Amino acid sequence: MIMIEVSLCVALAMVFAQFKLWQMPNGGSVTLQMVPIFVLALRRGGKASLTAGLVFGILRMMLSSHVYYPLQGLLDYPIAFALVGVSGFFVKSPKIGMGLGVTLRFIAHVVAGKVFFGHYAPEGMNQWWYTLTYNATHLIPEIILTLIVIGILMNRRDLFELQGQATKMG
Amino acid sequence: MAMFKNITIGQYIPGTSFIHRLDPRTKIIAAFLLIILLFMLRSFIGYGFAALFIFGIIYLSRLPIIFVLRGIRPLLIIILLTLSLHIFMTEGTEILRVWFISITIEGLSRGVMMGLRLVLLVMGTSLLTLTTSPILLTDGIESLLKPLKRIGVPAHELAMMMTIALRFIPTLLEETEKIMKAQMARGADFESGNVFQRAKNLVPLLVPLFISAFRRADDLAIAMEARGYRGGEGRTKFRELKFAMHDVYSIVFVIGFVLIISLFF
Repeated sequence: MIMIEVSLCVALAMVFAQFKLWQMPNGGSVTLQMVPIFVLALRRGGKASLTAGLVFGILRMMLSSHVYYPLQGLLDYPIAFALVGVSGFFVKSPKIGMGLGVTLRFIAHVVAGKVFFGHYAPEGMNQWWYTLTYNATHLIPEIILTLIVIGILMNRRDLFELQGQATKMG
Repeated sequence: MAMFKNITIGQYIPGTSFIHRLDPRTKIIAAFLLIILLFMLRSFIGYGFAALFIFGIIYLSRLPIIFVLRGIRPLLIIILLTLSLHIFMTEGTEILRVWFISITIEGLSRGVMMGLRLVLLVMGTSLLTLTTSPILLTDGIESLLKPLKRIGVPAHELAMMMTIALRFIPTLLEETEKIMKAQMARGADFESGNVFQRAKNLVPLLVPLFISAFRRADDLAIAMEARGYRGGEGRTKFRELKFAMHDVYSIVFVIGFVLIISLFF
């Protein structure tokens, strides 16, 4: 059952999310939380990685409560990570898929930031610029690190060989 | 391992208070209503009532107030920023002027209101996660999503995956620690170097971790199939959610409270 593999990858992502390689003073941190989603994307394709991203996002949202506005919460967690999982649909060119996945996540966070400031900050402040720089400071290092690590992991064939007997989506 | 100290997944604090014993669905619905209320309020009296409501729940849940206030700490900078931006940038009746900075009544009241909204929102939502265990929360979400099954939302499967993931987080944390120690005994270095080198050095940790996670997944899948698991239809539960009378009273009270406060304030 692929469903179980999705769950275990989500659990791994949750473990990695706790494992901060670098903590920003403004609250953002750099972790390898996206790596399990990408490994799953390469192993099982888009449906599995999209689900994993979604479940991971819901769990993160449930356990952290950094939700300040309903739309912002959805964009920052379930939507952002489900978009990372989109990478799994690019079976033939996984690198393009992953590039797209991280870009979409970045956009989701930037829009979430805009929603947040649009609500809480007064008019006249350059909200796009602020949310863009705030998110870029911790997301760009995270994206680079994730891509480096996944680049090394991609050469490990044993991670992507499927010896599972049960392969149907539960 | 220094890196693994102080790791807590989630913020749940076990207890036996009235709030702890409420059905998770009651608490999820109440939290939603509270969020809606906070976005509808337009006056300080309304915020006062909302704060009273939240402090009432804190009192009933017998949680140390410090736990609830702790959730606000990461927000402090944002709250101060929101407050000061509103105070200095809103035009209106001036009450104080220092050089080119002027403080207006409108700015002050709007800033304080926005700050209050943020604080109460975070307190309200963290009360939900402080008093409900993640597993119960998942059960509650599953049950609330059930009606959406008709339009194709796989509520049971999503909840199942969340439950399994939650169950395996501590196991995999332990495993990570074990593999880390094993690799360090072989001379792996996880702590020195810049952030890029450290990420690269993690690969000897990641590969065995993934392999063992996938092996565990395979074992679990076989075990589940051997026991006849075939999805949500007709499955019984070890922990049944029960919507008791005190849940009905609580929901009615919260709906009434939200309606009255949002209509009048």
